[in-house]
Amino acid sequence: MKLFAVSAVLAALAVPMVRAQDVGFENPSKPKTYIVYAAEPQTIAAGKKAVVELHFKVQDGFHVNSHTPKSELLIPTNLKLDAADGVKVAPLEYPAGTAYSFSFDTNEKLEVYQGAFTVKLPVVATAGEHRLSGTLRYQACDHAACYPPKTLPVEVLFTAK
Amino acid sequence: MRGVRLPEDARVKKSAFFVLMMVFGISLMIWAGVYSLRARKLAAQQAQANHVVLTPDGAAVPGAGTGSAGETTAQDIPLKGKAAPAFTLVDLEGKKVSLADYKGRPVVVNFWATWCAPCKLEMPWFEEFRQKYQAQGFEILGIAEDDAGKDEIAKTAKKAAVTYPILLTDGKVAPAYGGVDMLPTSFYIDRNGLVTTETIGLASKDEVEANIKKLLGPGDAATASLGAAPAVGAGR
Repeated sequence: MKLFAVSAVLAALAVPMVRAQDVGFENPSKPKTYIVYAAEPQTIAAGKKAVVELHFKVQDGFHVNSHTPKSELLIPTNLKLDAADGVKVAPLEYPAGTAYSFSFDTNEKLEVYQGAFTVKLPVVATAGEHRLSGTLRYQACDHAACYPPKTLPVEVLFTAK
Repeated sequence: MRGVRLPEDARVKKSAFFVLMMVFGISLMIWAGVYSLRARKLAAQQAQANHVVLTPDGAAVPGAGTGSAGETTAQDIPLKGKAAPAFTLVDLEGKKVSLADYKGRPVVVNFWATWCAPCKLEMPWFEEFRQKYQAQGFEILGIAEDDAGKDEIAKTAKKAAVTYPILLTDGKVAPAYGGVDMLPTSFYIDRNGLVTTETIGLASKDEVEANIKKLLGPGDAATASLGAAPAVGAGR
């Protein structure tokens, strides 16, 4: 009986142990995406000018070029949204970036997004639920290296009442 | 219950139940063990495949970093001590350039891109050191790992005052060097064509020169600083 009880307890513990080991082997030093976006359902007034906010967050330790980087050769952060029925979209409003320079050359100033940043989407929408799909193109760097440009799928969900 | 004796059938059934439960428990443990081993092996393989060398942790905070890429360790450099993968690429003038053309000479193969700000910081340093150590046969080959057009690449190289060969990627050279997924990445290749060092990310100018001096060897580095011009190594 005792043997059975010990076996059962060990067996019950084995499954969570396996899961913990899985998590432990993830490689946190190299995220698959350097920007995180979560669609947050919003409500706006139907038939009137309104602004839908899109909240992004650049992973800690990284930065991306702003929408208007200081050099034409740098790849700007750029959001493209597909058209959707019942939604008129005005040009997107991007935040200003913050000045950034690499420690070896403080003369060259870049304009970047770090941490959280918000892109504003002015819309006029008919009553009902709306979904806009698109992609955010960006190019990330850390303090010493840069990573190839990436695109992040974006879905904008809002209800016009 | 003490003193009450169960009938023979009941005792047999009870024993069988215990045996069954023990077998179930042991089977579950074996399954968990096998699953765990497989998961660990798979994760270890993935970790190996995704391995990148980042600069020191303390420098990972944006804007607060030392900016030092440093030298990677032997374990981090799969190509260390091995022959540098051969390539033939086209330069900005459309001329074919092969790594084999530089046989017998110390070479730095530098992967960069027009959109990579730290790359453009170190390119003038490479140019300066190329001039400084050219008597020792030292050469830089800049490979633009970039989707940008040739004109943009040429414009960027000109802005950085680079005169060393700038080569256009063929999409195969970076995978041959282990998959260059961060820029800048540089491979230091000695006179025997062996990779001695790989650096990932922007290093300080002093570190870049130290790596070049190490590549040249103590004698060559010293003669360069004295302004002497010894014979160039084996040549092409």
